[in-house]
Amino acid sequence: MTIHSIRARRKQIISKLLLLFLVLLFLFPVVGCQRHADRIVVGSKNFTEQLILGELFAQVIEARTHLSVERRFYLAGTFICQQAILAGRIDIYPEYTGTALTAVLKQQPGGDKQEVYRRVKQGYEETFGFRVGPPLGFDDTFAMVIRGDDARRLHLQTLSQAAQFTPQWRAGFGYEFMERPDGYKGLVASYGLRFAEPPRIMDLGLLTRALKERQVDIIAGNNTDGLIPALDFFVLEDDHRYFPPYEAVAVMRGEMLKNHPEVQAALDTLAGAISDEDMRRLNYAVDGEHRDPTAVVKKFLEQRRVIN
Amino acid sequence: MNFLQFMMANRQQVLDLTLEHITLAGVATLLAALVGIPLGILITRIPQLSKPVLGGANIIQTIPSLALFGFLLPAPWIGERAGRLAILALALYALLPLIRNTYAGIQGVDPAVVEAGRAMGLTDRQLLFQVELPLASGVIVAGVRIATVVSIGLATIAAAIGAGGLGEFIFRGLAMVNNQVILAGAIPAALLALFADFVLGRLERRLGSLRSKS
Amino acid sequence: MLSKLQPITGEDARHSTLYMTDASTPAPAIEFDHASFRLNGRPLLQDLALCVKQGETLVLLGRSGSGKTTTLKLINRLLLPTAGDVRVNGRRTADWDPIRLRRSIGYVIQDGGLFPHFTVERNIALVPRIENWPQARVEARVRELLSTVGLSEDLASRYPSQLSGGQRQRVGVARALAADPPILILDEAFGALDPITRSEMQKEFRALQQRMRKAVIFVTHDLREALLLADRIALLEEGRLIVDLPVAEFPLSQHSLVRAYMEAFSGCQDPHPGTK
Repeated sequence: MTIHSIRARRKQIISKLLLLFLVLLFLFPVVGCQRHADRIVVGSKNFTEQLILGELFAQVIEARTHLSVERRFYLAGTFICQQAILAGRIDIYPEYTGTALTAVLKQQPGGDKQEVYRRVKQGYEETFGFRVGPPLGFDDTFAMVIRGDDARRLHLQTLSQAAQFTPQWRAGFGYEFMERPDGYKGLVASYGLRFAEPPRIMDLGLLTRALKERQVDIIAGNNTDGLIPALDFFVLEDDHRYFPPYEAVAVMRGEMLKNHPEVQAALDTLAGAISDEDMRRLNYAVDGEHRDPTAVVKKFLEQRRVIN
Repeated sequence: MNFLQFMMANRQQVLDLTLEHITLAGVATLLAALVGIPLGILITRIPQLSKPVLGGANIIQTIPSLALFGFLLPAPWIGERAGRLAILALALYALLPLIRNTYAGIQGVDPAVVEAGRAMGLTDRQLLFQVELPLASGVIVAGVRIATVVSIGLATIAAAIGAGGLGEFIFRGLAMVNNQVILAGAIPAALLALFADFVLGRLERRLGSLRSKS
Repeated sequence: MLSKLQPITGEDARHSTLYMTDASTPAPAIEFDHASFRLNGRPLLQDLALCVKQGETLVLLGRSGSGKTTTLKLINRLLLPTAGDVRVNGRRTADWDPIRLRRSIGYVIQDGGLFPHFTVERNIALVPRIENWPQARVEARVRELLSTVGLSEDLASRYPSQLSGGQRQRVGVARALAADPPILILDEAFGALDPITRSEMQKEFRALQQRMRKAVIFVTHDLREALLLADRIALLEEGRLIVDLPVAEFPLSQHSLVRAYMEAFSGCQDPHPGTK
């Protein structure tokens, strides 16, 4: 071979190698999806209760198995979490049965707690291959909240009882509650509610203060909101069972459970472990007392002997 | 702890999300190149198509990225998985630079050289692969570079629809009001883009110098 | 100013081989049979009747826009005649496979038209390579051609941008000769060179042609070059053939356009006084 053809050959080789490198660079991520060997990734949505539940799952798994847990909290909503668990980027996250039924499985709401839970468990198993753990024991559904002194003064327990007094009250609701089909419209229809004037619509965070400062008399909040006990609010019982149940459960990837069945056993110990009251107090510890969620959860688990 | 300590403490997650990010941007750019470069070659052969093709790609680019994600959400199959959706949307965005640069690169080859090649009896295929593409390669790689950098940047928004990647750190950090988390997403993303720009820029220069050897 | 143009007259036609073929003479390498070419309604070439025999060098002389380049492009089928026929080795260009046709015609343009991203060696070896010659034969041919055109072997790995204008032109010629085509067409091949290099190239080309006996069409607007290189000169003006004469007779023609050329190049001596 002559010198000039050697040089030309070498240039060809270099450019082919470069091309190969670039192709590999693009292909490598597709191939390199072999993560999560002995790691469990727990996700959660981006509000306090979810953070607490996510931390709860994480600490229980860490305490009761040999697996290490990675936390991927503050995911921006149901859709993001669902996509993440579908893609295997997270293995577990806390969900509510009502949301799972309507927003994820896209079915019609209806049925009592057990019925909804059953439908969700079956639907998730069949559609996604996910396992739904047992309910944790509380229901984070919509709550119609009034001041404690009004409840005591008027001897009110249920929403039906309160319906007599609402024409003298002002109501405050959040935007989402006004828009949702299972929100304001259905509530008014179900209980035949009337108010002194059209409801004031404001940010969720401002509703609590408005109720406290007597700018409104009844608001729609969450059943497990931490400020309920703290500010001496009272949750009216939904005796017409208008609001769908939103029981908290752990959603787990079937693939992950095949490799690590001990995770299921660990999380099952949380069945029924948290009442409405418990959840409110936990929420308040973080929101009201500004304590660190990790520490709050640790204390709770120790007290309940779930972990030592 | 300072930012670097934070990154070290969470390095597994940083690595995971960076890998996710590279996958999103990499697959998208690859797809766009597989479609865009041949399309760019096609419109040099069939000039009547150049206006509609370039116009179409231009329109896609004009749609705001988040809106494009939103449009694709209800689509069957694509909308079911955020990863697929994000890759498709990113690939659509990467099309214009690839088509346009391929087209411009080939058009910019000295017509005397092309004619000499044709006059010597090179078939259209030989002309394309031995003359036009090599001489246009600098400009084409410039298109790949732009497409890659754009994809890496847009992939941060993909986290908003649940596709993961370094954008997830940014959105989570915003919700947590935690700067370190935000930076843990923003800085690696920026570094990725800079690195890709640098490497492809070098390649572009090496290939571009072939043109000037005339 | 030129007077109204005269088409080829009976007297000059006597010398056109078009009228002199008989059964025993092989078909001319290139033949224009009343070929015309129009583009967007504009006639670029009208009713051209011209022949080039194997071994003969025809120079196409004319101003820019006279149709010289169009004529060349009709030979290698970069263009097809809109009327009449163009035949190469007896077959109409329209009937030839364009690729086969072009590979049997060597094409040299100004400044070589070399591929800037190929080395000299790769440029020259282009047609042999795409004709799938064995590697050893290709390399031998490249070495041979480099010596034929007077270039040293260590230029083979250089790129065109690293060569002088004269060297590039020689590489262009070598490239055209690489597959040993029977026909060569050159379009103002030496136009971009400085006078000394140009003169060298002309002389060397003349010597080469006398050795190789290819059918050559050489386009130029330079009369001196035409007189030096041609066996015959065809003068084109505005798409028409004005005269077609053996080189010795050209300066003697009384045609007004020929006279105009001779005067324009006055002071130019017939480079072959008394020969031919």
